[in-house]
Amino acid sequence: MTIALPKPPRNWDPVVKLTHWSIVAALLANGVFTEGGSWPHIWVGYALAGMLALRLLWGIVGPREARFSAFPPNLRQAMAHIREIKAGQVHEQPSHNPLGALMVYAIWATLGLVIASGIAMAGLPPKAATHPDHAVEQAASPDEDEREGEESPLAEMHETAVNLLYVLVVLHLGGVIFETRRSGRGLVLAMLPGRR
Amino acid sequence: MQGIAGSLARSLERKALILTVVLGCQVLAAMFFALDVAGDITDAGLGWHLSIELGATLALAAGVVVGAIHVRSLIERARQDQAMLAAARGAMGALIRARFAEWHLTAAEADVALFAIKGLDVSEIAGLRGSAQGTVRAQLTRIYAKAGTTSQTGLIALFMDELIDPTTALEGQGDHG
Repeated sequence: MTIALPKPPRNWDPVVKLTHWSIVAALLANGVFTEGGSWPHIWVGYALAGMLALRLLWGIVGPREARFSAFPPNLRQAMAHIREIKAGQVHEQPSHNPLGALMVYAIWATLGLVIASGIAMAGLPPKAATHPDHAVEQAASPDEDEREGEESPLAEMHETAVNLLYVLVVLHLGGVIFETRRSGRGLVLAMLPGRR
Repeated sequence: MQGIAGSLARSLERKALILTVVLGCQVLAAMFFALDVAGDITDAGLGWHLSIELGATLALAAGVVVGAIHVRSLIERARQDQAMLAAARGAMGALIRARFAEWHLTAAEADVALFAIKGLDVSEIAGLRGSAQGTVRAQLTRIYAKAGTTSQTGLIALFMDELIDPTTALEGQGDHG
């Protein structure tokens, strides 16, 4: 006859989930399906920028654990967290753990680079981008051939940043798997849609 | 079994989710218009028409901020309701444990008493425990005797009486009569 009072499992709020998975979807779409420089690629990129902007806004006005103040980038805390891992200690984290926080900022910064270089290349004329034929023509015109021979510094930056992003994503997945096995918390569940 | 507070928290969460989806669409729309206006202004300079478009875009962006703050308040209210419910549950559980210990209920009697407090009848309790209805009836009789009451309603009332403070329970209901 014990009335168990399980602590409510950690669960990210809907805005964090929406922005997280939209960015995942946008990355997948632009990395795998759309052609670089094509109008869908550009617009998916704009949408990704919008979602990142929403997440950053949420970092200011969101609930406590989603705010920047809940996971400040702090090398010392990250080192302390590594020591805890070595010592086998597990602490409840209301937000990202200190190592995870560094990863979050690294991913955001890299996304920022990708977006900035992308916009610098695609420019702001939405007239071109909203007219599919025009944009695709533009992308497939001499511009493209030129790039094949020698990439513009912007394109190079875009690509380097994206590759860095892939590395970070793999590290992020590794971190999630490691932390889930270490602390046994529903780290993955917390980001999945729905309520538990 | 989910009570009123649980479903309230859920409905608030549902609202927050719907608003979040709307917020996401608004962000995409704001992005689209911002890019459109920025492109037009670089093309044609800032005229009357574009000033108004720019204003509309800024209003949309402001709407996004206000919407985000609203979503936050919905999320916080849902969490508050859940925390209140959990606190009430914890208090109720503690009270039940204390009373059962005080009455020296056996483990089996405590089980039956808990089901009785939850409002289950003899046949339901017998079904859940896999025992005969006669056994459950006998157990209930012993429970009532130990608790100093005579019926299931009486048993439930013992707990409700202690949990409800009439001076606070009807607060804010005064206008209705």
